[in-house]
Amino acid sequence: MHDDHGHGSAHDHYDASSPQIRIEALEDLLVERGIADRERIDATIERFEHDIGPMIGADLVARAWADPSLRTRLLDDADAVVAELGVRGAEIEHIEIKANGPGVHNVVVCTLCSCYPWALLGLPPNWYKSPEYRARMVREPRAVLSEMGLDLEPDTELRVWDSSSETRFLVLPERPAGTEGWPVERLTELVTRDSMIGVARAADPRGQQSGAHEH
Amino acid sequence: MPPDAEESTPATHGVHDLGGASGYGPVPHDPDEPPFHADWERRVFGLLGAVTASTARRPGEFRYALERLHPDDYFKNGYFGRWLAGFEVLLDEYGVVGRSDLARRMAEMRDAVLLEAGRTDLIPSVVSKATPARRVSPVADRDPALLPRDRPTPTPQRRTVRRELADPPRFNVGDRVIAPAPAQAGHTRLPGYAVGKPGTVAKLHPAEVLPDSTAHDMGERSQHVYCVGYDARTLWGDDAEPNTTVHVDLYECYLQAAPSED
Repeated sequence: MHDDHGHGSAHDHYDASSPQIRIEALEDLLVERGIADRERIDATIERFEHDIGPMIGADLVARAWADPSLRTRLLDDADAVVAELGVRGAEIEHIEIKANGPGVHNVVVCTLCSCYPWALLGLPPNWYKSPEYRARMVREPRAVLSEMGLDLEPDTELRVWDSSSETRFLVLPERPAGTEGWPVERLTELVTRDSMIGVARAADPRGQQSGAHEH
Repeated sequence: MPPDAEESTPATHGVHDLGGASGYGPVPHDPDEPPFHADWERRVFGLLGAVTASTARRPGEFRYALERLHPDDYFKNGYFGRWLAGFEVLLDEYGVVGRSDLARRMAEMRDAVLLEAGRTDLIPSVVSKATPARRVSPVADRDPALLPRDRPTPTPQRRTVRRELADPPRFNVGDRVIAPAPAQAGHTRLPGYAVGKPGTVAKLHPAEVLPDSTAHDMGERSQHVYCVGYDARTLWGDDAEPNTTVHVDLYECYLQAAPSED
């Protein structure tokens, strides 16, 4: 992280191309004109920095791992399950869950912009929004996944989902072996953001020994 | 094979239409990346609601503003950088904050800082009255006759792009379909890499308003939406990776029937 744009530092104010000074000026003008409200801006930022994030999707995945009937319903009609669980918010008008399994792997991209299920995963990371990911994930997805640390067998069927309509996709990763009997709360710790985009598997339970108890 | 489907090229290949583009290297991957990397990114994100509520209220309109940006503005400061550039374009076009107003305010802020720092020598004695140049393509003129007809749909209860359509879908799961190049310039959700390539309908999604129309203020013209699967070899030829299907969600009016496989 290179956050050297100190708010209001003199350096920024010498450079009209600096996004820091442009957004400060724009925000001031919009607030003065009654178009924007600073408290609402702050509240929106706060919500997406702390309250809305991958833990919401991870909860959904862990519940599906723990409850086969929920898993079936989730794959069949995710909108109904998401509504039942009280998940609301932006960018989930229609959700589809794509399940990984033996010989099948799913990965999500948006080549035209950066569509992403905000209400389930929070805001997308920069790499998901990068031209590198957007350009290459449809053209050479196995090479990209391998560079990111996920090597698929050549005979594994790879399904890439390009989010070009308002449908949003979430990958249901495979439940790792050695997690039998784990409660949902503990399972969620294995469900990473990357695993729900499809660029990684769920975390290895052997790396999550803290607080472990044998069942 | 429908006429011209194979030979045609997209009416526009926008800067945003990145699928399959060459020249890009490794993904800048960080598994623990936070949503924001600088305070200005937070402020840009926080302003989205206010900006779109006072400007781009129609589905697809904000995306289309980003697609119309100069490539420098699209790429220079990443995702939130292009949002900021898009805000400036929309606020200027809608007359909410003109680009001259913004330039003047930034100059005032600069001068105030210089004054405080005791560097009045750096404050320009002549203030430019020139209006900053527009760095954006205009909204393309669209011929409504080239768009599918509008049709009445029940008004949804909440703000959403989903619509119920009385007409049945034209295609079914398993049908072979092909999307010819768009007939005219403007906003579309048809990625260039899928143009002219036969695919198979994998699933139907809920019907939606047509962004190609709403972004241009030409009504909803709602469409059935299909998830179309393309074999990677169809898209990329012999050097495609094995066992790979790329699925693209396409609006019904993009599609024609294609000959079935063998």
